[in-house]
Amino acid sequence: MRPGTDAADGDIVRAVLAGDRERYAQLVERYRDRYARYAARMLGSADAAEDAVQDAFVRAFDQLAQCKDPNKFVGWFFLILRNRCFAERRRNRTSAPLEAAEAVAAADRTDGGTETAERRRALQQALLELTPEQREVFVLKHVEGLSYGEIAERLSTSVPSLKMRMHRAYDKLREQLREHT
Amino acid sequence: MSGREFHPLVKQLLDGDITLADLPAELRPEGEEALQLLTAVDRSPVELPAVPQRVMWSLVREPKRALGRRLIARAWVLAPTLAAAAALVLLIGRPASVAPPAAAVVTVRFVLAAPGAHDVAVAGTFNQWDLHATPLVRTGDQGLWTATIALAPGQHQYAFVVDGVRWVPDPAAPAVDDGFGRRNSVLTL
Repeated sequence: MRPGTDAADGDIVRAVLAGDRERYAQLVERYRDRYARYAARMLGSADAAEDAVQDAFVRAFDQLAQCKDPNKFVGWFFLILRNRCFAERRRNRTSAPLEAAEAVAAADRTDGGTETAERRRALQQALLELTPEQREVFVLKHVEGLSYGEIAERLSTSVPSLKMRMHRAYDKLREQLREHT
Repeated sequence: MSGREFHPLVKQLLDGDITLADLPAELRPEGEEALQLLTAVDRSPVELPAVPQRVMWSLVREPKRALGRRLIARAWVLAPTLAAAAALVLLIGRPASVAPPAAAVVTVRFVLAAPGAHDVAVAGTFNQWDLHATPLVRTGDQGLWTATIALAPGQHQYAFVVDGVRWVPDPAAPAVDDGFGRRNSVLTL
């Protein structure tokens, strides 16, 4: 085990900024998967998530000096990844989301039959029709299992505004799924 | 209400604030439809084992970063090794000497003995450490995996990737420190 493998995030960030930049690898290894599912559901495929997470880590490295509280590196990193996901979806808004949804369903078809996979695919397809803001709150609450309070804290927003966003998402998902079936 | 929107109480049900039993009887079918939506939520985990490799290589190869000066020419491997693996790289052919230098390539065969593996790939500087770019194919019944590719002359760093997660340096090839306590295999053509 390398020295400092169990070090706190803040200690690693400070060490990287002080010149021991190779230790950034520890942060990447530590958090490479934490938001992978979030990115995959936001973007519609694991491949797109991989690109986004990679880019976010590189951007975070470049901007590390701007991480005001090194002990909260992971929350700061999440916001960089979030921006990357939002930008990606806006950029690809005209692309066909169906392929991406199918990619997710196919990759994750491990614990159910065809019907489960089809329902997942339909929901993922419908999710991609939401605005990024609506999709995000749905993903954080119903995929990641966070409470409204936790989401509000992470995104620096209020619970009522999140609920409004979510409730619009519910209606839109219902509409999308009814059109699909 | 348009009929396309969920009733506010059903939205509370989806939020987890109330249960199906709390709904008036006439709203329960709608509540059941709504809960059905949530059962289709895909919570299966997503893993990105190649990200550390790709991130650090990206940091290394871009000279604008001061970091690159310390790490340049040192690629990066971060994963457990496979103790039982043995591997070798065979040069099985070179282009005819009449070929123009700019078009010269060298055919390289990567071989890894990994009888228990489900899949094997080789990732390196020649394919941007992409786990999916160069899969090896199981050959015969000896547990050998092989891939033959054409590479440009020069120095390449690489490692084998077993089952998508285990990074295995080539014990038959020279290696360099990856800067993170592990070794990358080096192939000079």
